[in-house]
Amino acid sequence: MSKINIKDWINSAEKELKEKKLEELFWETPEGIKVKPLYTEDDIKQLNHEIGLPGLPPYTRGPRATMYANRPWTIRQYAGFSTAEESNKFYKEGLKNGVMGLSVAFDLATHRGYDSDHQRVVADVGNAGVAIDSVEDMNKLFDGIPLEKMSVSMTMNGAVIPVLACFIASGLNQGCPIEKLTGTIQNDILKEFMVRNTFIFPPEPSMRIVADIIEFTSKKMPKFNSISISGYHMQEAGANQVQELAYTLADGKEYLEAALKRGLDIDDFAPRLSFFWSIGMNFFMEIAKMRAARFMWSEIVKKFNPKNSRSLALRTHCQTSGVSLMEQDAYNNIVRTTVEAMAAVLGGTQSLHTNSFDEALALPTTFSARIARNTQLILSEETGITNVIDPLAGSYYLESLTSSMVVEANKLISEIDDVGGMVKAIEMGIPKMRIEESSAKRQAKVDSEEQIIVGVNKYKPTQKQDINILSIDNDKVRKKQISALNELKKSRDNKIVDEYIEKISEVARGNGNLLEICVEAAKNFCTVGEMTGAMEKVFGRHTLSSKTISGVYGKNVKSNEKISSVNTHIQNFIDRKGRRPRMLVVKMGQDGHDRGAKLIATAFADLGFDIDVGPLFQTPDEAAKQAIENDVHIIGVSTLAAGHKTLVPLLIKALKNNDADGIKVICGGVIPPQDYSDLYKLGVSKVFGPGTNIPEAAIEIMDIL
Amino acid sequence: MKLQDYLRFRRIKNKTFAKLLNISPVSLSRYISGERFPEKKILIKIHNLSEGLVSPNDFCLQDDKNYDVNESQKIELKKFHQHILSGSRKHLGKVITLIESSREKDQITSEKLLELFKGNDKSIRIGITGVPGVGKSTFIESFGMKLIRKGFKVAVLAVDPSSRFSGGSILGDKTRMEKLSVNKNAFIRPSPSSGHLGGVAKRTSESILCLEEAGFNIIFVETMGVGQAETEVYDMVDIFLVLLLPAGGDELQGIKKGIIEMADLIIVNKADGELKKSAEITQREYKNASHITNKSRINEDIGVMICSSLNQSGFENVWKYILKFIDIRKKNNAFINERNLQKINRMWGLVDLKVKGFVKNLSSRKFVQELLKNVKINNLSMYRAVKMISNYIIKK
Ligand code: B12
Ligand SMILES: Nc1nc2c(ncn2[C@@H]2O[C@H](COP(=O)(O)OP(=O)(O)O)[C@@H](O)[C@H]2O)c(=O)[nH]1
Ligand SMILES: [Mg+2]
Repeated sequence: MSKINIKDWINSAEKELKEKKLEELFWETPEGIKVKPLYTEDDIKQLNHEIGLPGLPPYTRGPRATMYANRPWTIRQYAGFSTAEESNKFYKEGLKNGVMGLSVAFDLATHRGYDSDHQRVVADVGNAGVAIDSVEDMNKLFDGIPLEKMSVSMTMNGAVIPVLACFIASGLNQGCPIEKLTGTIQNDILKEFMVRNTFIFPPEPSMRIVADIIEFTSKKMPKFNSISISGYHMQEAGANQVQELAYTLADGKEYLEAALKRGLDIDDFAPRLSFFWSIGMNFFMEIAKMRAARFMWSEIVKKFNPKNSRSLALRTHCQTSGVSLMEQDAYNNIVRTTVEAMAAVLGGTQSLHTNSFDEALALPTTFSARIARNTQLILSEETGITNVIDPLAGSYYLESLTSSMVVEANKLISEIDDVGGMVKAIEMGIPKMRIEESSAKRQAKVDSEEQIIVGVNKYKPTQKQDINILSIDNDKVRKKQISALNELKKSRDNKIVDEYIEKISEVARGNGNLLEICVEAAKNFCTVGEMTGAMEKVFGRHTLSSKTISGVYGKNVKSNEKISSVNTHIQNFIDRKGRRPRMLVVKMGQDGHDRGAKLIATAFADLGFDIDVGPLFQTPDEAAKQAIENDVHIIGVSTLAAGHKTLVPLLIKALKNNDADGIKVICGGVIPPQDYSDLYKLGVSKVFGPGTNIPEAAIEIMDIL
Repeated sequence: MKLQDYLRFRRIKNKTFAKLLNISPVSLSRYISGERFPEKKILIKIHNLSEGLVSPNDFCLQDDKNYDVNESQKIELKKFHQHILSGSRKHLGKVITLIESSREKDQITSEKLLELFKGNDKSIRIGITGVPGVGKSTFIESFGMKLIRKGFKVAVLAVDPSSRFSGGSILGDKTRMEKLSVNKNAFIRPSPSSGHLGGVAKRTSESILCLEEAGFNIIFVETMGVGQAETEVYDMVDIFLVLLLPAGGDELQGIKKGIIEMADLIIVNKADGELKKSAEITQREYKNASHITNKSRINEDIGVMICSSLNQSGFENVWKYILKFIDIRKKNNAFINERNLQKINRMWGLVDLKVKGFVKNLSSRKFVQELLKNVKINNLSMYRAVKMISNYIIKK
């Protein structure tokens, strides 16, 4: 047979294409990587990464030698809601049906270090996670679940010290020796300042806390992962895959240095660092990202001269992307999650969470959670995917893509290095701004129908499906928590409590280990809020000073009739009212989901609105004051963590009390259709759910005005 | 000028003027009200007697009619004024909107309202500029809170840039002041830079008057320190502060030299932690700087101080400086003289705005569009078109 040549392929491809050009088949990924329609062995002749073998440095093919051939990944479903008792029931149900490890979702009050009786959390208790006020709640959460055997992952970053302390105290209560506790604490504060928004203290003391935890666990909890360096939240906030990869590794570097500065040996803690990726619909890119990450991490750690090669191995948890899931045509989400889960598995994850199809509506129900879990069970037990280790290695396309990711991510990492590391970069707002740019770009593409989402901007369903959702009576949960708190405060020895509170402040002022003292405090029934307060007295509470980007949405959205209709509306409005429509975009309560609010702010400004941006964590009264002083026409409430039922009525009342009910109120975000009519009855003019097309929303708002 | 305005302006009684014209006072009032149109002979006489200020055209224009308010509107305005005096946030918010509005009706309402104001000279108007990120908002937040604790009522006005492409704007997140914004003795209002007429910044001085009427006695005006808004703001405040970063000379600062020269007080911010040393160096450099040869408004060398808005250090010195500055200015009457002068400048500013608005409106006129078309296809020289348009304006 004569040697075939790429030129022959080009010829026949061009013949097939007729008048079309071959270049038209090239695709540029959101991160600007050019993807060709065909890859050949030429493309893997020169790679920027080493492929190697699984279980061996640089671990590109996986951190373990046998991977799933020996044991499949851990099915670890993230869950938590309402009270500890309720969540405990839910966990047990999961464990009976295939879940292998727990992953606790805390409510936002706990995340931000407030006890359930704090006035700033009236809308947040038990809503978006489980309410934990003290070791007693923790005991209930793990009632009948032996912590000696069960690995528990906890997504906690802000109130990380008090919560981990309660967990340890609860384990000890069960009789589990501290060194036998297994699991992971997220403890990744840097990405909180960037995208997740459940920080409490300023960056500097926060980094000290991270180091305290690494130090404590490396000494006393050898089986516990002291940190889960998370890219997940970045992608969910809008980052593209290269950004997710680069910023996460840059965060990791920062943590390495913080622990080394503490005097720890790299091999004492590096093997206990774990990672966390989001896996979206960009199938091959996600697999490439996971492989690139393992290679790059081993390169990064190598510079610190570890002796133990396990220090170089990147182990990771993955979660399928929540933001890829839609409210519209919600059953499609099952398919999306399957595709994403498959990418996570082919990428070699150590554990996995699969989202439920009602993701964009509310927390999962028992039914939707079951399907999500079964998605993994089917992949693991029906497909044979697990039998071969890293089956995609050597693929021309995948290896070439992995290589490109390494190059692109390194560029971003250098940008961070140039300004002096991630803490500095975060202070300057660089990564946040880049991520928001990506988010605005993507929305512009979706709104212009360049990026297709089935059921949302194409192939829309003609009939609405009614989907049962989990609804939480947060008022009831709050009252229950408050009475338990009051009970606790009556029955415990308050003198000891006061002493511990004082000691915690003292340790915060000095340089002892905060986790160590808080474990004692937790044992003695100090609450999460009290422990946080003791540290807050010394550290202060951090507020974000972030600037909204502008122009990105406007530049990327294609002008069409919708956009020009918005323009005409606005011009007419100016002629009638003497100024542009002015909208205050607010985030109330502890809900830190600001992607939507930021997007709405920047996009509406680009469409010609004057937009006031409220700070995170506003109270309804504060929002009303801002709206009145700025004499806005309309308040746009963005709400995703189920606080709307409590906060929107309070906002409307605050406006009325100030004789300002002329200001219209609209809502957007994750609001189950079941709640729409209540909001309308209150006087809300319009509700905009997930998947809202922004120019269309602008027209509707102009009609309201 | 309208005949009525002329008579008012020269304080001439209708009767007297009628005599001069040799007509009955009744006919004169008919001309004034527009009921009747004077004949040619009378028109010329009026023109001459009024020093050329009242021209025949003035009798054709009717559009000023709505400038006069009727009784019920008067009552409304009084009520509105009362609300402002009692410090109603809602009304304060609304009146600033009226001031910034491009609608003529709103303009008139706001002007009528402003005419009711008593005004006072008890407030201190403080302008603050500096490059983005220097810490203006943080400074105002902590310094403002300090003043509130001293018993003052603090208001903040800020102008945020509007997008040149969409005309829209993002407001407020560059002036995030967490504690001030929730304090009942504070009022914060960011405004978009380009209202319909292209110059809300020019309107800021009217907004200041409203805040003062509502009892706010410390008024901060924050600007970006990069554009020409600074001169405007300089002209509406009693003292002008320039915030600098702890870093070398002008180039490193990224601030325009012209802006530094306007300063009454230079403050090097962020004098804390690692930056303290370089703040002190910067302070020395600016103290000795030969290029700041001009003096502050009190004819003394421009003060150069350091502070940390984060730790609230150095504030007492800044406050003392401001008090002394105002005190000297008040003693030698410069304070009130300058405010009066600023009033005149503001008047010209408003004239300027009116003319601009007028010119902008012109472009939609048929005959102007006709002209434009012809200029485009080279049927008419640009210069001739300018002449025709300006003639038209002068006649109006
Ligand atoms: C992204 C995301 C995150 C990111 C947030 C990043 C960020 N900075 O915003 C991360 C990963 C950090 C995160 C964390 C958490 N999340 Co989350 N998250 C999501 C997710 C997947 C997507 C939200 C999103 O950003 N979508 C993209 C934006 C553009 O869409 P949008 O906000 O809906 O906005 C659109 C419309 O709604 C509308 N709109 C929105 N606001 C407004 C305002 C106006 C004026 C107008 C006109 C229109 C409008 O227009 C927009 C454009 O189309 C949702 C599920 C989902 N698919 O919706 C869960 C979800 C909101 N999260 C949830 C939870 C529980 C959490 C956590 C509390 C978990 C925990 N216990 O720790 C944490 C805590 C975060 C915090 N600080 O509050 C729950 C909330 C449950 C509930 N409501 O009962 C959800 C619903 C997932 C679920 N089903 O469990 N999350
Ligand atoms: N270290 C330090 N940082 C400050 C100080 N004042 C402001 N900053 C920080 O500088 C950044 C910009 O401040 P901001 O007030 O928004 O600046 P503006 O753009 O001039 O209004 C913020 O991150 C502030 O926290 C200060 O005195 N010391
Ligand atoms: Mg500012």
